[in-house]
Amino acid sequence: MDFTFTKKEEKFRGELRGWLEVNLPKGWLQGDRKLPEDNEHYSKFLRDWQRTLYEGGWAAISWPKEYGGRDATLMEEIIYHQEMVRVQSPPLVNYIGIHMVAPTLMQMGTDAQKEEFIEKILTGEQVWSQGYSEPGAGSDLTALQTTAVKKDGKWVINGQKVWTSFAHLADRCFLLTKTSQSEKKHEGITVFLLDMDQEGVETRPIVQMDGHQEFNEVYLTDAIATDEDIVGEEGKGWAVLIALMLHERSGIAAQVFTLEQQFDSVIEMAKTVRVNGCLLIEDPFVEDGLADLYARINGAKLNYYRNITHTLKNGRPGPESSLDKLLVSELTKELFDFAMTIQGHAGVLMNDDSVFSAEMQGQYLASFGATIGGGTSEVQRNTIGERILGLPKDLGR
Amino acid sequence: MDFALSEEQELFRTAIRKYMNDLDRTAFARSVISGNLDVVANATSGLAEMGVTAIPVSEEVDGLGLGALDLVPVFEETGRVLLPGLQLETLALAVPLLESFGTPAQKAARLPSVASGESSVSIAWYERDGSLFPNSFSCIAGKTESGYALTGTKTLVPVIGDPDTFITGAQTAEGKSLFLVKASDVASSRMLSVLDETQQLAEITLNQAPGELLGEPGHAAEMLKEGLLHFNAALCSSMVGGMDELVKMTAEYAKIRVQFNQPIGRFQAIKHGIVNMKLDLETARSLSYYAAWAVETNATDKAAAVHSARSFISKAFIKAAADSIQIHGGIGFTEELDVQLYLKRARYYENYFGSVRDSRRATAQSLEWHSTPAKRDAVPVS
Repeated sequence: MDFTFTKKEEKFRGELRGWLEVNLPKGWLQGDRKLPEDNEHYSKFLRDWQRTLYEGGWAAISWPKEYGGRDATLMEEIIYHQEMVRVQSPPLVNYIGIHMVAPTLMQMGTDAQKEEFIEKILTGEQVWSQGYSEPGAGSDLTALQTTAVKKDGKWVINGQKVWTSFAHLADRCFLLTKTSQSEKKHEGITVFLLDMDQEGVETRPIVQMDGHQEFNEVYLTDAIATDEDIVGEEGKGWAVLIALMLHERSGIAAQVFTLEQQFDSVIEMAKTVRVNGCLLIEDPFVEDGLADLYARINGAKLNYYRNITHTLKNGRPGPESSLDKLLVSELTKELFDFAMTIQGHAGVLMNDDSVFSAEMQGQYLASFGATIGGGTSEVQRNTIGERILGLPKDLGR
Repeated sequence: MDFALSEEQELFRTAIRKYMNDLDRTAFARSVISGNLDVVANATSGLAEMGVTAIPVSEEVDGLGLGALDLVPVFEETGRVLLPGLQLETLALAVPLLESFGTPAQKAARLPSVASGESSVSIAWYERDGSLFPNSFSCIAGKTESGYALTGTKTLVPVIGDPDTFITGAQTAEGKSLFLVKASDVASSRMLSVLDETQQLAEITLNQAPGELLGEPGHAAEMLKEGLLHFNAALCSSMVGGMDELVKMTAEYAKIRVQFNQPIGRFQAIKHGIVNMKLDLETARSLSYYAAWAVETNATDKAAAVHSARSFISKAFIKAAADSIQIHGGIGFTEELDVQLYLKRARYYENYFGSVRDSRRATAQSLEWHSTPAKRDAVPVS
């Protein structure tokens, strides 16, 4: 057992830290981390940030050098996430493009697709969304109903997508469609690289319970795509989907480190906020609850370290790595639930009136998305039960 | 980054597991319940042959001089089958106490026979008020010409497998002090009736029993706390072994038990319940590895690592056993199935040398969450 980083890894960290200090938006490190509210400025701010990352060589470190990456090792990727969480860096607007679409195209895209898209993804010139879920296809993605029908050499697409992250900012969409009806539910699915800038594509933002608008409904009405837009083979989109999921190598790193940081901030609150003249932490109920959360949050991080170790030794993640998402998202929810409880009635105040942190009430509300998005906790439990414990498959799966 | 047991440690685990299978797993625990205590000595000598009893003993006194991490596979595998005996008390508490606070003569007199498996040592700490750190002991150690003589009653003393020595706490002029007392010098002892029948607890009475001072007089609580870091790390491994077996047993049962024309493991109420046990198991295992690593390397967050592990795992072990009984249904409620043995063991360990509340408080204190630690430290936990 060894938790130390190598000299090379520490040098990497130092280089990134130095670069961030110079290149983060003005005032960011000093705590001025407000993002522009209106869509246009928000989009420009984030695209500029990605451009800055690109120019520094920090936009897609895990990519191969030939595509403009750094061929980063898994440990370097983890350090990267640690440092980005530490400075609470602005979000990566093209997360889907960089971590999912481009690596998939590198593996199974045509030369023309690589040529056309990969560099634009890296620079932030082209922002991507992911058209998966539909009103009738959430946890059960195979129930999708958006169709693509070939007419006069072009594909005509009709249907509705929902929970489409970044669609309001995106130029392109990694779109899942049905191109044929098959008895087998994983067949007949085709992935298109859809141009969002056309008449047949309409995007409507969805307002979340925390007031943010991070995802959208996308209506497709006779939207047009070509054969050249297909990823992999027609009708074999499920294999593309699986390939894309496997590209998420460092997986849950950012959420693990964010959870740790959020826990520290709740501790800070308990050490500084007084109720009835007494610090929160001096209340045995608060102390007990926080010590319990400390054990479990630290445990989740250590689980992640154990899974990384498995990947380093075996070249691929072990089955237990599928536990990380479930644990971290559930713990995030529990942490903020407890943080709300201990603030007393003043916990209902938010933003600048908040007891401790202007962000905490919003983080509490946002935590409810964590156990739904990217596979609900229930679906995660099914998968773990079946793949790791070998329990019989759920009805309908 | 390397957060895994070493190849040697994993190989050793395989060997211990094989030996436990040879002993017919929980058959030894059940032998103790039916009154056959010979099995305890058999298992101890078997483990000694494999070198287990020499692991934590330093090389100068015939041990292997290995660390807390090398005990992880041992206690996971013995915990998995609820192996009865004083392995935890001897190897993870008495040995660290003797190694840290014993004189060279005390070590030379006792540790070689521990390393060879001939001797086991128990802890006679609790008194009738049941508190872990009482303000003072009612057991008194009076000075004599050659040393000390102890008089008083100790209870909840583990005596399975006939330990030849007790480490005990008694009151001296300086305060609470630690002593070594020979089992043969105990005046009388009364066996207690225990929920976990694989354990044997006694109330022992000392009447002018010769005691050998261990460490500085007046510092019993601090020394025990230090020793308990080793003990709790090992105890956590033992509980993880038990949890691992519970998850396995329960998942296997859910695959073969058919109701409504299908294996019950297909129902989400059952499936998700077992997955939750698995989640706790993985967290428990990570925390226990880290605790052992922190003890072995004397890491700065050693206390937080051990106490947080203990607080989580004590509770999780009970929950895993309780949920396993429920998922097994009627058969889970019977004596025939092993699940009940795990529940009783989990309950036995819950407050053994510290409660969940104690561990959480100790976690908070070691992480310095309190602005005025001095005031709180004046009142010892429990």
